[in-house]
Amino acid sequence: MSHYADVIVIGGGIIGNSTAYYLAKKGCSVLVLEKSDHMGNGGSGRNGGGVRQSGRDKRELPLAMYGVKNLWPALSDELETDVEYYQEGNLRLGKTDEHIKILECLTNDAASLGLDVRMIEGIQAKEICPYLSEEVIGASWCPTDGHANPMLATLGYYRKARQLGARFVTGEEVIEIKKIKGKARQVVTSENCYETETIILAAGYDSRKIAATVGINVPMLQSLLEVLVTEAQPPMFYQMLGTAAADFYGHQSTHGSFVFGGSSGFEGVNKNNGTPVTNSITASCICRGIMKYLPCLGDAKIVRTWAGWIDDCVDHVPVISRVEEVPGLILACGFSGHGFGISPTVGTLLSQMAVGEETVLDITDFRYDRFKAKI
Amino acid sequence: MSNVNNRFKKDLDKFITEFDDDLIICRCEEVTKGEIRRAVHDGMYTLTEIRRYLRSGMGLCQGQTCQILVKGIVAKELGISPMDLEPVISRSPTRPIEMKVLGNEGKEAL
Amino acid sequence: MTRYDLIIVGAGPAGLSAAIEAAKQGLKVIVFDENAKPGGQLFKQIHKFFGSKEHKAKIRGFKIGEELLKEANDFGVEVVLNAIVIGLYLDKEVTVNINDEIRHYKGDAVIVATGASENMVTFDGWTLPGVIGAGAAQTMMNLHSVRPGNKVLMLGSGNVGLVVSFQLLQAGCEVVALVDAAPKVGGYGVHAAKVARCGVSFYLSHTIIKAEGEECVKGVTIGEVDSRWRLVPGTEKHFEVDTICLAVGLSPMSQLLKMAGCEMKNTPAGYVPKCDETGETNIPGLFAAGDVSGIEEASSAMIEGRIAGLAAAENLGFLDKEELSEKIYELKKALLSLREGMFAPGNRGKAIEKTEEGIDLSINLLKKGYVGETEIERFPGVTRKKGVHPVIECTQNIPCNPCQDVCPKKCIKIGDKITSLPTLDETKECSGCGMCVAACSGQAIFLMNEEFEPGFAAITLPYEFLPLPSKGDKGMALDRSGKEICEAEIIDVKTKQVFDHTHLLTMKVPVNMAGKSRFFVVRRQENE
Repeated sequence: MSHYADVIVIGGGIIGNSTAYYLAKKGCSVLVLEKSDHMGNGGSGRNGGGVRQSGRDKRELPLAMYGVKNLWPALSDELETDVEYYQEGNLRLGKTDEHIKILECLTNDAASLGLDVRMIEGIQAKEICPYLSEEVIGASWCPTDGHANPMLATLGYYRKARQLGARFVTGEEVIEIKKIKGKARQVVTSENCYETETIILAAGYDSRKIAATVGINVPMLQSLLEVLVTEAQPPMFYQMLGTAAADFYGHQSTHGSFVFGGSSGFEGVNKNNGTPVTNSITASCICRGIMKYLPCLGDAKIVRTWAGWIDDCVDHVPVISRVEEVPGLILACGFSGHGFGISPTVGTLLSQMAVGEETVLDITDFRYDRFKAKI
Repeated sequence: MSNVNNRFKKDLDKFITEFDDDLIICRCEEVTKGEIRRAVHDGMYTLTEIRRYLRSGMGLCQGQTCQILVKGIVAKELGISPMDLEPVISRSPTRPIEMKVLGNEGKEAL
Repeated sequence: MTRYDLIIVGAGPAGLSAAIEAAKQGLKVIVFDENAKPGGQLFKQIHKFFGSKEHKAKIRGFKIGEELLKEANDFGVEVVLNAIVIGLYLDKEVTVNINDEIRHYKGDAVIVATGASENMVTFDGWTLPGVIGAGAAQTMMNLHSVRPGNKVLMLGSGNVGLVVSFQLLQAGCEVVALVDAAPKVGGYGVHAAKVARCGVSFYLSHTIIKAEGEECVKGVTIGEVDSRWRLVPGTEKHFEVDTICLAVGLSPMSQLLKMAGCEMKNTPAGYVPKCDETGETNIPGLFAAGDVSGIEEASSAMIEGRIAGLAAAENLGFLDKEELSEKIYELKKALLSLREGMFAPGNRGKAIEKTEEGIDLSINLLKKGYVGETEIERFPGVTRKKGVHPVIECTQNIPCNPCQDVCPKKCIKIGDKITSLPTLDETKECSGCGMCVAACSGQAIFLMNEEFEPGFAAITLPYEFLPLPSKGDKGMALDRSGKEICEAEIIDVKTKQVFDHTHLLTMKVPVNMAGKSRFFVVRRQENE
């Protein structure tokens, strides 16, 4: 196998795979290197599947809106894989006046940027989703939000990219990026050395140590989040749900199962053994959170829980950027737990950056050198 | 694991349908042998990818029944020994459990 | 959070044995089991175990279970039933669903002894109701007194398939065929022989092509396979059955260990944690014992459990290192002796043609389930002698020696090597007490007296069926293949407590049939 490709993508998550697909579609030779044995084994195979615009940072919102308008609706057809995309809206629920204040704040910000999102009363929320508890007094409502299946979307991009000739190597941990004559040129793994014109670094939190090999720091933290899934339920509702108090978020999938994410409050300090392991108290806490809003799910059986790391950037917005000091290197990391929904857009942007096209959206807000001391 | 790491599709023979492709392998999620074989040709080379792609082993029995069967089919398709395929990760709860029970940690929880 | 010195998951043979040993050393021990009854598979095992005294040989499995439970209680072990361990987390924390409440426990040490689950094979119709695991059939019969079906086909000739076939016969089912894709019987020959002489036909190198029926199993078609497992056209055979039992191996239920982050490995005995010789995983203080660390017999599981229990005690300072090595020295020796012989884990997949004594194995036994008439004479336990004497049809090297222990006249010799074939000491006189017949876990010992009456011989055989024939009953003698060969009359029925439910039938047959007659059926009344 040749160790050269026009573009080398480090990281086989949904960012890496969508980028590989859009590049392969442009006729580029592309090679994806993935550390684990499985494609999409980081956050891409583990997240809650939200395709939201509401609740986003204003810098990220245009990426989300572009994807929802231009990419997600046709993605299943394009990839010839049902990615289980539903555009049935997002309800963010509140039970107290304080909750409502939080929601109003978020809603006003997003609406001012042109997103169709508004506050509704509890009774209206119940019209949209009749299974909600009586305690819900209000919600923010974004009718164009939705959700999709992150595993199928990631593997669907992978499958299609592979069909178009993109090459993939798993179990290939990148140790170092090497500059040759001032340009990022070589990707060194424990076994091999690959050569390329352009390197896209989309390796989640691992991007930090890989970028450090060419002297670049991306200020981010690793944090462990947990998700659980129920056995299949009869079709009930297809809105994406969240709460002002962040008790949980989730949706019902095509399969009928409900996928819910949440937290216990100890995420910043939870221990791990080097792999993303669940904590003994989190799933129970998420269940209690869910039942406060959806009491009818109390009898639904939980069949699985899992955990995944997010690469939480210090300002909770990703770095999508060329690196001036390291020509040939493009960073795509720090997605802070909301990369899935914008992944088709980001893959499109990265593919444009890699081949030197003008990007379809302005990406200056995501520069790598935006981080400054507070005073 | 190295023999499943190079995902370049030239490594596999052409997909040819077999007489028993309709055989249900994962009873919980109703996944057939043909779907599993097809998934391997789509690039899903590990049991973890197969599971995420097809849901096999993600049902109520958590793969207790089908995991070994899936392993055999994937190994044959890849032309490797089943011993070279790493089983999927195990997740809590080991037995399905109602949300109201999982949420009920009682007084002595912590 | 409740804290224990030692938490054990699984109250089967390994878990209970571990609990007993640890509690004996003074550890505070709790055992969780998801079932309503303790004992794991032991309470389904109604047959007598193999091995020697220290392995509890010739005791029936469920009795061993009762003994273990009593011992655990005596030493203050807390056994919590209907307690489903749903997770094993960092810091050896387990979460348990007890009475619909999640409770958190931490152990200074944890032993996972969760056992195994049954494998399945696929064929057209394998998802029909009526296709069940052999273990499930055993649970139905022996725990719940429910007959799984009337006409049964068994797939799998390993010990599970053979033992459960015999139990199905005992429960009154008709076993129409015992099928295995392998060319040879996989389990102990003595287990096969007791099934074969009841008239069950063996189909080696055969596989199930199709289970028939719309709503449930109504029939099954099998066919022969060649050496590359391809179906040989034209060899199809059809049976009317309502039940298909699958005895195609077990898989360790090692999920909790994997979840806890143990290093795991794929082995021929299943996907198991990497353990040291005491069962400790790469996570200090976390142990695995029994089938979860590799499929073996319950006898091995009990010893592994005891070793793990002692090692946990040492780990927590209840024993010092020297005391531990002393204590586990004998246990390891016992474990090694169980792993000897031609069925040893190290011999899996090997083609063995001769016994350790250099005698050619019975080909007929491996192909049809019974030793051929011309083959049986070459084995050392089979001799001809004046007067009453034992005929020991034990033809494979398996670790087992109760026959040697029980003979009050010391007629039977196995020696120090527990796998050796039993031989008869010609200098000692058999008293005809029948202890060996009842003690043989493989039901392979018969008493023969070719001079019972002029022209007639008396054959004493082990019998574990109901109704029990009575003295004077007339019927037919069956040969080793289960074929009716001559008329026979019951001249004695012995039932003693020491025989432990193995009855001794003595039947009178024509003397020329003495070497062949190995089973008895009462003649149907209406035929007379």
